[in-house]
Formats: sequence, C-alpha cells, structure tokens
Amino acid sequence: MSLAAEAFVSQIAAAEPWPENATLYQPLREDQILLSDCASSLAVQAYLRMCNLPVHVSCRSNAEYMSPSGKVPFVHVGNQVVSELGPIVQFTKAKGHSLSDGLDDVQRAEMKAYMELVNNMLLTAELYIQWCDDTTATEISRPRYSSPYSWPLNQILAYQKQWEVRRKMNAIGWAGKSLEQVYEDVSQCCQALSQRLGTQPYFFNKQPTELDALVFGHLFTILTTRLTSDELGEKIKSYSNLLAFCRRIEQSYFEDSQAGSSSRGYSKGPSLF
Amino acid sequence: MAVPSQMATSELYCWEGDWGLPSVDTECLIILAYAKFAGAPLKLHKIGNPWRSPTGSLPALKTSENGSLSRPSDIIIHLRKQKYNADFDLSAKEGADTLAFISLLEEKLMPALVYTRWIDPKNYVEVTRRWHAEHAPFPLNFFLPGSIQRQQLQRLRLVRGDEELTAGEEVEKELYRDAMECMNLISQRLGSNKFFFGDSPSSLDAFVFGYLVPILKMKLPNGRLQQHLKSLDNLSHFCSNILALYFPSEGRGISRKVSSQPEGGDADNEPGKRRKQLLSVLVALGAMLSYAFLTGIVAIQHVQQEALDHRSPGLRSLSSHGEEEDGEEEG
Repeated sequence: MSLAAEAFVSQIAAAEPWPENATLYQPLREDQILLSDCASSLAVQAYLRMCNLPVHVSCRSNAEYMSPSGKVPFVHVGNQVVSELGPIVQFTKAKGHSLSDGLDDVQRAEMKAYMELVNNMLLTAELYIQWCDDTTATEISRPRYSSPYSWPLNQILAYQKQWEVRRKMNAIGWAGKSLEQVYEDVSQCCQALSQRLGTQPYFFNKQPTELDALVFGHLFTILTTRLTSDELGEKIKSYSNLLAFCRRIEQSYFEDSQAGSSSRGYSKGPSLF
Repeated sequence: MAVPSQMATSELYCWEGDWGLPSVDTECLIILAYAKFAGAPLKLHKIGNPWRSPTGSLPALKTSENGSLSRPSDIIIHLRKQKYNADFDLSAKEGADTLAFISLLEEKLMPALVYTRWIDPKNYVEVTRRWHAEHAPFPLNFFLPGSIQRQQLQRLRLVRGDEELTAGEEVEKELYRDAMECMNLISQRLGSNKFFFGDSPSSLDAFVFGYLVPILKMKLPNGRLQQHLKSLDNLSHFCSNILALYFPSEGRGISRKVSSQPEGGDADNEPGKRRKQLLSVLVALGAMLSYAFLTGIVAIQHVQQEALDHRSPGLRSLSSHGEEEDGEEEG
C-alpha cells in the first residue's frame, strides 16, 4: 500500500477500536489454497488470536485479486483493507494492540531478523517446491491454483503464476538450486529457529510475539499439508522443540476456541496430534 | 600437508574498487572481507568487465575442484570446507543469529541499495553509469552499464512483486524507510561491540560490512542513505574500522588517488591502450574489407545482370528463329 495511504490508515486506525465484524480473506481452503498462502494466512490468524482480536475467515476464489497488494491473506477491518502479516502487525499496533512492546531494542532487532529469516528461507523454499519442482507443480500446484476457473483460463493463469515465480527465483539466485539444496536450506533454517527457541515456550520467553505467529503458521502448515514427498515435513520433525512449540500454540490459541468460532478447520489437513 | 598450496589456486574475480573501497560491489566486498577474516589466500583479479570472469558475472571464484562459483553463500561454503572458517568460534545460537541477520539485510537493505545505485536517475547517470563506462573496455562501455541497469531493475521488480516499478518518490520512500529501519536494527544489535560476536569478525560482520560500506563511502548525489548511516555512529565506526584493519592498502589508495589522479589514470591506461589500438585497427580493417566485399558483390551481380540482359534478346531471337536453328543443329 502506498505511503500516503499507509499514513492515512494508521491515523484512522488509531481512532477506531477493533470491530466485531473484521474479516480475513483467503483462497478456497479445500481445493484452491497452496502451501505458501495457507502458511501466511495461518500466521495472520495466529497473530490475531494472540492479540485477542476476533476475525471471521472468509474463503474467496478470487482472494488474490481482491487483495490490495496481490498477496493473500488480507483483512477487512471497518473500512480498511490491509494485506500481509507485516502491515497487519503495524495496523493493529496503531489500534493499540501489540505483542512486541515488552521487548528491548536488541530483542526487537532479533525478532525482525528472524522474521526475515522465515520469509527469506521458508517462504521462498515453499514457493520453490510449489512451482519449480515439476512433479509438485503438475500434480498439486497448477490444478489447485486454477481449480475455480474453466478450461482455457485455468491453464493460462496457472502457467502465468508459475512463470512469475520462476522469474523471481531467477532474480534471487534460487533458480540454479536443486531440490536437495532447497531441502538443505529449509533444514538450516529450522536448525536456526530451533537453536533460537531452545527450551523456552516462545521465542522471547513467556509471551508470544509476531515472530511466534509467523513461525507457527509456516511450520504447522508444512507439517499438516500433504505434498508429493514428505521430505519437507521430515526436516521439521527432527527438531523436537519446534514440534512442541507448534503443539503449544495450537493448544493455547486454536483448540480451546470453541467450534462454531469463525476459524474452525483453519488447516485442511489433520491436526498435528 | 599439501593442502594449503592447493588452496592458493582459488582465484577470485571481482569488481574493481574505488572511493577507498576494495571493490564497489556488495557481494564482492562480502567475499573479500570474509576471506580476510578467515585468512584464506585468494588470487584476486579486480576487473571492470564481467565478461572476463569465468561465470560471466561478478564475483566468481574459480576453484580447482568445484568449477566456478558465483553465489556469495556458495563461495563462503567452499572456503569453509577448506577450513577457512571465520565462524569457527560461534555458538549454535550465534550461528542462528547470523543466518537471521543476513536474511534481514537481504530482504530490507538490498532493494534500497540496488535502487540507490542503479535506479535513482541522478545517482545512476552521474556516478554509477559513468563509473562502469570508465571501467569497461572500449566497445562494452557503451552498453554494459545499461544492460546491468536493466538487469537490476528487473531484479528489483521481481523481488518487490511490482512489474511497473520505476524510479519515483513513493518507491524511494518505501525502500529507504525499510533500509533505514534495517540499519537501526543492526545498529541496536551491534551496540558498543567491536564486532557482532566477540572479539573477532565472523561472516555476519562480512555481510554487514559488504552492505554498508558502499553506502558510507560512495559519493552519490542523492545520499539519503549515507546521511542516515553517518548518524549511526557505531555502524559507521564499524565499517571504517574494518576498512582500516583489513584493507589498509585501500585507505592509502584514497590519498594517492586524491593527490595524483592523472598518474593513476596513466598507469591504468597502459595495458588497455594497446588493446584499444589493436581493436581500432581491426575495426578499420573490417570496415574496409566489408566495403570492398560489398561493392564487389554489387559488381558481380551487375555483371550477371548484364549477362542476362545480353542473353535474353538472344533467347527471344532463338525462339523466333527456333526452327532454323534446330534445323541447323540437326544438320
């Protein structure tokens, strides 16, 4: 979103409290959403739950085209639309809800750095596996991505998306990587997260922050989504503290929210345990 | 045993330096700094023409066993495998922090750095394009800067996911805001330490140095990032400190450059001059030959045309007097 709009939004945002009818939009859960979008969407949901902000999840086949930045998920709050975790965190902060106020400067720097680590390595690896691994692209990503559309359009849109992601991989130097190297990167990233987490319940001890929401969104989605190979999930499963971390967040923020609540079935796969 | 001598064969191709920097490019600076920190002996080729590198891009490390590597992370892994490891003393958690802060730099600072060097019209025209045109050999200097700029713009567009991204106030503000926030965070993380982890520099120090020192030293007309970096005392000290400790010759290079620029220019020209002479002779020769050839062809075609012109009335006459001639032949 543009800067002027952003400044405007944060001014307005401060004035109004969080409404009851806030809505989060994402692609269709059963037949359309892909691993990376599902992970981002779950991260935002986890964040809002940690902030105790109610949100109704709405699945739309054209969510990607509704979003102001072209990326999902996005939230519709009052008369504002904000997409992606980073801006949503800023937006809630303007409304007086923040998870990272208790951190000191160094911790805040570390938190941002680890969030970029997840974006830079996990998210990119998910995109790589979805669109650059031919088996996954043919069997899962292209059919799912284009499922709401009929014949000529579905092919066009799916290949267009694949082309776009591949060009991006080229630009960031990932195009030359093999699948094995990507798994190795994921493993490296998980090891770093596991080391940073150590034996603490959350990344910055007792209180969850947006980093916890982001890591949970990605790890939980990878663990509960079936792909052509299990290798991605296996990489995470070798870090027991990360598994326990996912279980902890699932239990404290998702399970006790009763059925009937808007986001039941936040992940399409079976629950972790 | 014999290993060190093998290692010395690794050759690093990187962009030339200027403004008191060992190289003008972030990725090259990262490798150079890392190699210094780890004590890896590299044979350096500082060049202004990426076509002379074995991979066609810079930096590139030519190794005896793995072929040529061009991604900085691959090069660092290669050096690490050869026991040149600047991160040997880091704990696992510090290793994790390294990875995280490198990601932060790549996501938040890299786009702004690309923008400020290649997309900002004033900076590009007055500094970057001129520098690359001056440092590339003769025929390349006309299109190399432009082609690198198109590449960088494409990269920025893809990274930002905005196909129509062009130089503009709004984009600049957004990118610079991210970059300044990133610098603030790094500055907070560094605090009053000399290096990020302990008393000796590690790979994170190499990355931070590589990203920040060009901002600090390059003299760009639009220097908003530089102003901001200079206001963060610990970071600007960190950069000049590494520059002074690990690249002392470059510091001297500055004063020499300031005092005796023409001299340096002459020395630089000497090898290039002969190449230029040879090239201009070749081009002239080529032009003359092609002219001769072209006119030759025209002449030949002309002759053929004439031959045809001469023959066609003959043919006509043949057909009109066909019977006579047939008769004659038979006879």
